[in-house]
Amino acid sequence: MPVPAHHVISLPPPFDAPPYSADIFSGRTVLVTGGGSGMGLAMARAFAQGGAQVAVMGRSLEKAQAGAARIDELGVRAHALSCDVRHPDQVAAAFDEVERELGPVSLLANNAGANFPVLAEDISVNAWNAVTRIAIDGTFLCSSEFARRRISRGEGGAIVNNSAQYIWTGFPGDAHSAAAKTAQATMTKKMARDWAPFGIRVNAIAAGFFPHETSTAGRREGGTEPLQNMIPAGRTGSIHEFGWLSALTCTPLLEGLTGQVILQDGGESLRRSLMMPDFVPPRERADGPWGWR
Amino acid sequence: MGWLSGKTARLVNGSAELAAALSAHGATIVEGGDCDVLIHAAPPPPARLAHELSFAEWRGALDAGLDQRFHFAREFAASRRESGKPGAILFIGAPEQTLGSDQAAAGGALGNLTKTLGVEWARDGIRVNAVQTCAADDTLFNLAAYLVSDYAAYVTGAVMGVGLDDD
Repeated sequence: MPVPAHHVISLPPPFDAPPYSADIFSGRTVLVTGGGSGMGLAMARAFAQGGAQVAVMGRSLEKAQAGAARIDELGVRAHALSCDVRHPDQVAAAFDEVERELGPVSLLANNAGANFPVLAEDISVNAWNAVTRIAIDGTFLCSSEFARRRISRGEGGAIVNNSAQYIWTGFPGDAHSAAAKTAQATMTKKMARDWAPFGIRVNAIAAGFFPHETSTAGRREGGTEPLQNMIPAGRTGSIHEFGWLSALTCTPLLEGLTGQVILQDGGESLRRSLMMPDFVPPRERADGPWGWR
Repeated sequence: MGWLSGKTARLVNGSAELAAALSAHGATIVEGGDCDVLIHAAPPPPARLAHELSFAEWRGALDAGLDQRFHFAREFAASRRESGKPGAILFIGAPEQTLGSDQAAAGGALGNLTKTLGVEWARDGIRVNAVQTCAADDTLFNLAAYLVSDYAAYVTGAVMGVGLDDD
């Protein structure tokens, strides 16, 4: 169903009007994990709009390079590199490489993750390990490597984590990601406390539905247009407004902000009623929106 | 940055510093009438043990921290609906658990009210968010300005803090 014409939809400013100045991250380097496409690329582009040098990291170097090319377009230096964030030695080597190419990393965006709808009983051990460990171990390894380096330099920094709107409710039909994204949010709050004495801030965005070319829903037949009406806000999110909020948490404009998990989902996770449509178990909605088949 | 350029904002119990910050972001502060933004701040009640709170103190904290906020928000939303325009509401107040049980009740109630109204009024284009903190500094002011601006057009029903005092 289309959104009825009399409903009022709030829209963000266009991409070329970011909420901060073009030099707010001037002289600083951000490392964006999973930065080659999708939400990570949106984060990377938002930091670039504030003048940061951007290290675009991904398991696939080719994808990271494609993302870095999009950053170059914005007039800042970018460097693409490959890393599997599940391995501490690879993470340390990646930080070394970025320091050599762009200078010390003082901003970190943890976006690396995988997600796909699948019934819990059908999640293979490999799939479980991949989804949970990229997000959970990867966020831990990148954040702790970042913090050790900042602390040894005697300088602060800021981390932003890409979490999800379903971290408080569970996500039936997506058990691996439900676990992984919540771990990111809860470690956000604890790391913020651990590192507050060192001037390192840690925040997360509990992101809703921001369709992009590599998202599962973005590939569905008919595109995402039919999905707008399911969100209370009357639309799915624009990927640049997610990037902006992520980067904004790392600016001096919000220098006291830490330990926060900010919900940005157009009310999606909050819509409910005591009387709701019949419950359909994930097993029986294979072909529906976010179906697993 | 002009996050609030062209917008009118009404502050209830807001500090002069908050008003100045919103003005610096381009907002025009108004005393009443139909406007684009409502920010309702509630002064924190003193920290008291529950068994030492009189009923009058208890009721006063709930009135300031919850009841009045609901009535202001409802009036604002009705006015926005009548004018057919979108709007943004922000509640600012103390964290839930750092003061007395009166604030614990008011803060918890306000949080879930925020989540509820954020969805109930979503298709009116009215967003509702809350910041629960003891902070009263530039970060709070900038966060407030962001949350009531169009940059936060996809943020509604969000209840958050500022630093590490929001448990």
